[in-house]
Formats: sequence, structure tokens, C-alpha cells
Amino acid sequence: MSQATTLELDGRTVEFSPGETLLDVARRSGVEIPTLCDDPRLEPVGACRTCLVEVEGQRRLAPSCMTPATAGMNVSTGSERVDRHRRTLFGLYLTDHPVPDGVGEAGDELLEMAARYGAPSDWGRLESRRGDRTSDRNPYVLFDAERCILCARCTRYCDEVEGVNAISLSSRGAETTISTADALSLLDTSCELCGGCIDVCPTGAMTEKLPRTRGQEEVPVEAVRTTCNFCGVGCQLDLLVDRQANDGRGRVVRTVSPEPGTTTNDGNLCVKGRFAYDFIDHPDRLTHPLVRGADGELREASWDEALAAAAEGLRGVAERHGPDALGFVSSSRCTMEENFLVQKLARAVFSTNNVHQCAAT
Amino acid sequence: MDVDADVRARRASVPDVLEQAGGLAPGVARRVAHETGVPEAEVHGVASFYDLLARPDAKLRVCTGLSCRLAGADALLDAAKSAGLPVAEASCLAACDVAPAMLRDRDVVPAVTVDDVRRAAPDWTRLRSQAAPDDEPWRGRIGPDGADREQLVFDLAGDLDRSGAALARARELGPDAVLDALEESGLQGRGGAAFPAHIKWRGMVSQPPGPRYVVLNADESEPGTFKDRELLVRRPDLVLEGLTIAAQTVGAEDVWLYLRGEFGLPRRVLEAELDDAERSGRFGALRFHLHSGQGAYVCGEETALFEALEGRRGLPRHRPPLPIESGLWGRPTLIHNVETIASVPAIISKGGAWFRALGRTGPGTKLYCISGCVQRPGTYEMPLGISVDELLDAAGGCTGTLRAFSPGGAASGFLPASERTRPLDFAALGEAGSMLGSAGVVVLDDRVDLRDAVRDQLRFFEAESCGQCAPCRIGTHYLRDALDRQAAGDRDALAHVADVAWQMGEGSICGLGQTAAMPLTTALEHFPEEFSS
Repeated sequence: MSQATTLELDGRTVEFSPGETLLDVARRSGVEIPTLCDDPRLEPVGACRTCLVEVEGQRRLAPSCMTPATAGMNVSTGSERVDRHRRTLFGLYLTDHPVPDGVGEAGDELLEMAARYGAPSDWGRLESRRGDRTSDRNPYVLFDAERCILCARCTRYCDEVEGVNAISLSSRGAETTISTADALSLLDTSCELCGGCIDVCPTGAMTEKLPRTRGQEEVPVEAVRTTCNFCGVGCQLDLLVDRQANDGRGRVVRTVSPEPGTTTNDGNLCVKGRFAYDFIDHPDRLTHPLVRGADGELREASWDEALAAAAEGLRGVAERHGPDALGFVSSSRCTMEENFLVQKLARAVFSTNNVHQCAAT
Repeated sequence: MDVDADVRARRASVPDVLEQAGGLAPGVARRVAHETGVPEAEVHGVASFYDLLARPDAKLRVCTGLSCRLAGADALLDAAKSAGLPVAEASCLAACDVAPAMLRDRDVVPAVTVDDVRRAAPDWTRLRSQAAPDDEPWRGRIGPDGADREQLVFDLAGDLDRSGAALARARELGPDAVLDALEESGLQGRGGAAFPAHIKWRGMVSQPPGPRYVVLNADESEPGTFKDRELLVRRPDLVLEGLTIAAQTVGAEDVWLYLRGEFGLPRRVLEAELDDAERSGRFGALRFHLHSGQGAYVCGEETALFEALEGRRGLPRHRPPLPIESGLWGRPTLIHNVETIASVPAIISKGGAWFRALGRTGPGTKLYCISGCVQRPGTYEMPLGISVDELLDAAGGCTGTLRAFSPGGAASGFLPASERTRPLDFAALGEAGSMLGSAGVVVLDDRVDLRDAVRDQLRFFEAESCGQCAPCRIGTHYLRDALDRQAAGDRDALAHVADVAWQMGEGSICGLGQTAAMPLTTALEHFPEEFSS
């Protein structure tokens, strides 16, 4: 059993367990500390400086994300010094970031925080010197260097979670940016186009390209939780649906992963789950079974008709040529249970061992 | 085979392999990635971080540090450009005493003239100067003249001492007595932090058993500072013997010497000295690893230096943990500035009390660098705590009327001539809102445009910020931009400087960002009239 220990947090005595950081303790105690570079899946780096707090006896403000809680600490998250730190830090950030008319734009965590902590937005505006990759021909991920605050969530995600290392911090000083090797297109790198960089970006510097290339307008969307049907893993994802589109039938605008820690996929998706949602509303999508008639033409049919036709065909082959003339291949989109049923169908119903799954090798 | 050690070594080799590959160019990152097993994006990140790797086509570089600017660096740059030479700007080459200096590949060419540049064209490899006509190993000026050599710790004019007497004495004394001598000496870190050396050493001794390292920080890059270069070139014997005593005392078997990449000459001197030491066997089985940086001031910050040695971008780490707990490759590491470590042999030979008594307001002598508007710029070994007036006397005086001086590198800001009698030590300068830092004194007379001088220093920090944390990355950019706007007539441009400087001081991860506003804030405090238009 771990021994409970306590520290003082804004005048309250709170318990902590060994290994917790000040940020962990504060969050658990309902004390708000702003963060930009923090992500529960990543090693803390203390780079954004937003989570600095005052610890009695320490000369410098301490990054709460990297400071281990220790017994008897006296921590202040709302002192005058911390308040001034937040105001001036966000004020400085705003000089290097596109600021629309109203600070506090939804979807940009930096602007939201700057508004919440009363940061000045009249310190002037610097010209961004961060290199971008506007010629990158990949269809999915757009990097808007001007909006980037170098929190490095995207590069660390790409490294620590995906193990892909397609992007890295590059150059230095005011020219520091996020880059691939030689600023190549993501298509020419180890990138798997999982889109995780988009999800982790707090400011919209990494964004989805499709809505832009299509000139898609910003519309109110509703998140609909569903299970990704591209494979059997069962990742949860949220379809962002424009309810009014298609004469009220609705339309999927994009997909996002639910918050890390809330579902089995822990905030991660692959290229299919993240970007391959066009088929939902595609005009070529089959929405009814088709059965080929004696004249060779495909005609719409009911599921009962279609299944009956398939059963009849399979039985016919088995009767005429024997069960081993049949082979069953199931789809990688099937769940394990569905794969089980397919091999049951092959072995128990048709008495053949000719059964395979397309993702097996 | 130790797989971890192999992976570690291959990653550490990335900067060197990039250098051999000719620096950053299309396709190089991928080739180096194949060779080292480090992902190509990371290789690109490393290559683009270090100036010598990121701009490999600049075969010549003109130092744009404050002293070189005062000595006509702009004219050199113009001449080189109009002669069609492959030239770029360098932040500071640690050659302020031989200003204006240029870099030819990895070698500093001292005291270059416009004629020298024109004579070399169109072949950049032919650049030479009168100060080093045949590329002879050149030396800077040292002083003071007529010093009592018995009262000097380094005796820069002295002969190499390869007797190993101090090391033998240290062995005779044993680690405890060595630590006691160090404590008695009062030696403080000469890189600028002034941390008591004996506390670091004792901290190392008390670490749990296992590999540990000693690292020499010879990344001297602070504008106005060149003492470590002079020490390395003139007395490499003291540096190596000091390192050996340190390694022996704290139980290290490996010593890493990190030299800035522009130190071609000091590197060759050290290599020769290491060769001799190996032949004589006087340092036993101790392994020395010589490593050249690739052009980044921030790597003088000790944890950024570890990152550089490990083959990564030189981003300073957070502390705690301290290097003595977790330094190079996460192992306990004793890291010292060149001057600090070179003090050790004399302390062991002549005693801690002897060293302590040499100083005036603090222990020991100090290598003061003086450059700028001064008759005899150079490195002067004098008692800790002398004033700028005394230093100027030793260096032949100011070239005009003393107006201002920067006492300890760019980060120490500017003080007015009225402070000319203040002791140049850690405490007294701290009280004046400045610092001794690396004791790189730059003197400005009344003909210097102070606003230009401030801009040079701000530009330096802007160019050398690692970019990791926002206060420094944006703050250094903001301050230089604000000063330019003010010079262009924007009366309100400096309205928020105090808040920005406060944020940089409070919010930055390392000392670079924490002090980078000093040139502007101190100048605004002491010379407000310069910024009124």
C-alpha cells in the first residue's frame, strides 16, 4: 500500500500518491491549470510554459507538468506572480499568432486561454518566420505554420504513440517549425496519414485538408459516436454530422477520435477511420443488395432474395463439383465473431476447409 | 554486443556523419538516417538546428558580435559579398580581441581587413590575414605586463608543464583531501554561474555506483568572451591535468571534451597534447573523447551540451535533475567550464588557501577578456574583483571617452561609465543589476551608437535562441523587432518591453531566455535619452 502524503495547494491540504506531478494533483483536486503542450499519452516536456506555478521556497516558477509532488510543498496556482505570468505569456504568444477580431475563437485553445486569463492583445504583431510546406501534395493533412506554437504535441505523438517519426522540430529560434526530412511531402515519408497530428494540435495549425480543398463551409455539426467499420478492432469515432445537409438527411463533414482515455482506441485512429468517410454519402455507394438475373443484368433485391440466391448458388457448386470446389474468404472488415461464423459456415455447413481471411498471410 | 550502447553511439554520431556528408542538402538526411538508424525527420531536425550544418555552403562567415561590428565587420561582409565569395554572418566567433574576425571553414581568421578579403577572391580557401599570414597557430594578446608569475593560476605566458606533478600530488593526497582543498580554495564556476565547484564534486562522489562522466564545456560563444580559447591554445596541459584530477576524484573513466565547432585551432592543439599524454601514459587508462560542436551558442548551456553530445538538437533540459544526478546519457556528470577546470592543478599544487588569497573581493584570479573600444584588447589574468578602470589601465586605456561597458558578455547588459570603479565580481555586479558572467568585458566609448550596440546583442540572442520555449523564442524576436520599429519612428514600440522582459525572465527554461532582454532593459535604465526619439 502506498503511503498517502499531503501538500498545500492554494491553501488546501491535499493528498497525493508517489509519482504524481503537481499538474496531476491539481486536476484531481479540481484546480484549473492551463496547459498547451500536455497530452496524457505523451511524456511531459514543459515547453509551452503555460502550467507554471509558484512553489514556496523555489526561486523560479515551476512547470507543474514536470514537477513531482513532494510532501509538505506549498503550491500556489493563483498568486499575483502566476497571474502576471499567464497574462504576459499569453500576451506574448498573441504577438506571434493570427488573432481574429474577437480573441477567444472556438477551436483554438491558445485564443480561448488568452481570453480567459485576460491577456493583452495589443502588443503588436510579428511576422511569422516559420517555414511551411505548402507544396505538400498529400490530400489529408494541412500544416498552417503561422498558427503553430511549437508545443510539439504532433511530433511527439508521431514518435511516442505512432512510432512513425515522420515529422520533427526543425530549424531553431523564431524559425523553428514542424518539418519532414527536407520538407518532403508526407506522402514521401514514413507518414501513415493517421491524422493524429490534427487531433493533438491545440491551435488548428495541423488541420484536415479535405474540407478546404472542397471549399467546404463551416457549418454547425453534431458529434455522433459510432464504431469504425473498416476493421474488426472496434475503434470508436465521432462522426461530425451536418444535420441540415442533403435535404435534412444529413452529411458527415469529418470524423474525429473521442478524447484519449475514454475509448479503447485512446484517441487514435488510422488513415481509414480518420479520412475515409466520403463513401457514406457517395453516389456510387451500394445501398441495396443486387442480384444478377438470367439476362446478366444486376437488379435491386431484398436481403432475403439476395441471401437465398447466394445459398442456392453455393449449394449448386457443392452438389455438382463437391465441397472442395468452394472457398470462403472473409473480409478484414469483419469482427472476430464474424470470422468465426464464416469458418463455421465453411466447415460445418459445406464441409470444406477452404476458408481464409483477407488480412491473414 | 551491447545493443543499447550501439544505438546510443549511432545516434551520437549523427552530427559528425552529417558533417562528413557535407551538411544539410536534399537527400542527405535520408542517407544519414540509413547509416545511423535514426529516423530521417529527426536527422533533418538535427541538421537544421546547427548553423554549421544548416548552411554548409557558407564557407566563410563574418563575425557579427558587438566587438567585431565595432571593428568593421559590416565592411568585410560587403566586401566578401561583392567579391562573390560564399559568405554568411556568424553570431560570435570568440575572437573579440582580434576583431574583426572571420571563419574559414572551421578556422577563425583573426583581424581580417577588407584587403585580405579582396586578395582571397575568388578562392575562399585563400583567405588569410596579416595576424596569421601562413595560418600559423596564432595567439591573442595576454596580460597584464609585469605580473608576478607566482601570483598567477594559469600563467598564460608560461611553458607547458607535462610533469604531471599536480596529478601526482592529488593521488598522494587522496580524494578527501582534494575535495577539502577545492572547498578551501572557494573556486566558483567560471562559465558564469559561479556555483561552488566543491559542491559539485562532492555531489558526484555521493552518487550510487555506476558509470559517470566528466565533461569539459569548451563551447565558449558568449559575445565578448575568448578566454577559454586562449587558455586552450596556450595551456592545454592545465586543462587536461585538471580534467584528470577531476575524473580521478569522482571516479570517472571517461572524459568528454566538447569544443565549439569553430575552434579548429584549439582542437588541433588539444589533439597534439592528448597525443603526447597518450605516449607518455601520464593520465593512465582515462579515456578522452574529443567532440566538436556544429554551431549553436545555446550548447554552452550544460544540459543542451549533453543533448548535443548525444546527437540531438541542443535543447536545454529542465532541472531538476541536476547533471550530477542525471547528465550525459542519464548518468552522473561533472561538467565544468575550461577556466574552472584549468584552475585545479594550481589549487592542488599550491593549496586552496593560496588560491583563495589571490582574489580581492572573491577567491582566485580571473581571466578577464576586454575588447571593443580599448587600446590592447586581450585576456588578462588579474585578481577577482578588480574594476573596469584597473582592467583598462592594464589594457592601455579606452580609445575614446568611456561611455558604457558590458561587464560579462551580452547577457550582462550595459552599465554606465559611472560604474567604472565597481569590482568586477559575482556579487557586486549582481547588486548593480548585471552580472560577471564569463567576464567578457566590452568597452564602448562616446562615439558608439548605443542603440546599435543594443541591437547587435538582441540580434545575437534572436539568432541563437533554441526555439524550444515561447518566452525566449518569441521574446527575443519581439525585442529586436520592437527596437527596429522604434528606430524607424514608432514612438510606442517599446511600450511593452518591461512586460516582455519580465515574462522572458520568469518563463524561459534556461539562462539564455532568462537574460536575453538584459541589453535592452539595462540600456533603457541607464541611457534612456538614447531611446527617446
